[in-house]
Amino acid sequence: MGEIKVVTNILNSNNKLTAQNRKLLDEKGIYVINLMSSPGSGKTSILEKVILKLKNDLRMAVIEGDLYTTKDAERIEAQGIPVVQINTGGACHLDGNMIKNALESLNLDEIDILIIENVGNLVCPAEFDIGEDMKITVLSTAEGNDKPLKYPLMFEKSGAVILNKIDLIEYTNFSREEFYNDIKSINANAAVFETSCVKDQGIEELCVWLKSQIKLKS
Amino acid sequence: MVKAMHETSIMYSAMEIVLEKAKESNLKKINRITLKIGELTGVMPEVLYFAYENASKGTIAEGAEFHIDRVKATARCDKCDIIFDIDHFNKLCPDCSTFSSDILSGYELNVNTIDGE
Ligand SMILES: Nc1nc2c(ncn2[C@@H]2O[C@H](COP(=O)(O)OP(=O)(O)OP(=O)(O)O)[C@@H](O)[C@H]2O)c(=O)[nH]1
Ligand SMILES: [Mg+2]
Ligand SMILES: [Zn+2]
Repeated sequence: MGEIKVVTNILNSNNKLTAQNRKLLDEKGIYVINLMSSPGSGKTSILEKVILKLKNDLRMAVIEGDLYTTKDAERIEAQGIPVVQINTGGACHLDGNMIKNALESLNLDEIDILIIENVGNLVCPAEFDIGEDMKITVLSTAEGNDKPLKYPLMFEKSGAVILNKIDLIEYTNFSREEFYNDIKSINANAAVFETSCVKDQGIEELCVWLKSQIKLKS
Repeated sequence: MVKAMHETSIMYSAMEIVLEKAKESNLKKINRITLKIGELTGVMPEVLYFAYENASKGTIAEGAEFHIDRVKATARCDKCDIIFDIDHFNKLCPDCSTFSSDILSGYELNVNTIDGE
């Protein structure tokens, strides 16, 4: 027997489930964000701030991906919006199947925007689409400005990049100039925001932009 | 629980596809498997080769030759109507220097062929 042409995408089963999720979410008119970063860059902190600003105008919900704990989900629950916890049990990223299960425990008729906090990891989540309208990557000044060069894929696929912990920049050797140059070469289309969750900086700009993106879709 | 490494889980998904196709074609033994992996994916071929040994163990693909073809990353410029090579850090059209979002290849993650009897 000779060679058999297979030509099948390895992520096929993920892609199929993701396509189903996307269809369902589109039918319900829900705008979906996949929020990614390395551990501790400030995803949950930014979420808390954004929810505070947007929850009166938009019906929000959150899916929290976490390796083992429910800590982040508890922080979101305290904001008084629906949240579903996914424990990946060690897996380094969320996938279509996990999102499918999580969607079953949300009332999709009562959501305008769904934000999915992915597992803290700068590599793997970039490869797996989970039905989002937009990927957003957070980088914190404390991590160093070389991260986009070292982990380009996530930045390449993101509609926006948030540079967080801007309040700490003077204590680091983070070079804004190199950071902006690198983002421009990797993904010239990305919107870039500078935020501080401690000093409440840049959150307003981010929220205004998010609203405009949601409008564009609907 | 073992930390599911990126390449490991990708290799297991690839093996699932390989074994399913082999079954459809009534193969008793697989001799050769080829994958196509785009340059822009975050997947490292060396790690895949390593993961392959484990993923194929005890299957009809154990011991099969395993080969990865890298797929070049290319993009198109709509203005100039040309196709050119890109990488993560340079997606500018060589003629007009416009940043291209129209990426044609480089994100492939495919099982390409299997060979067996
Ligand atoms: N100085 C400073 N600290 C911040 C800022 N944003 C978040 N932090 C702190 O950074 C730590 C991590 O923040 P989280 O919001 O939990 O980060 P995360 O990305 O959700 O972390 P994981 O979910 O574990 O990956 C916390 O101690 C926050 O208080 C900021 O803008 N400035
Ligand atoms: Mg978090
Ligand atoms: Zn051009």
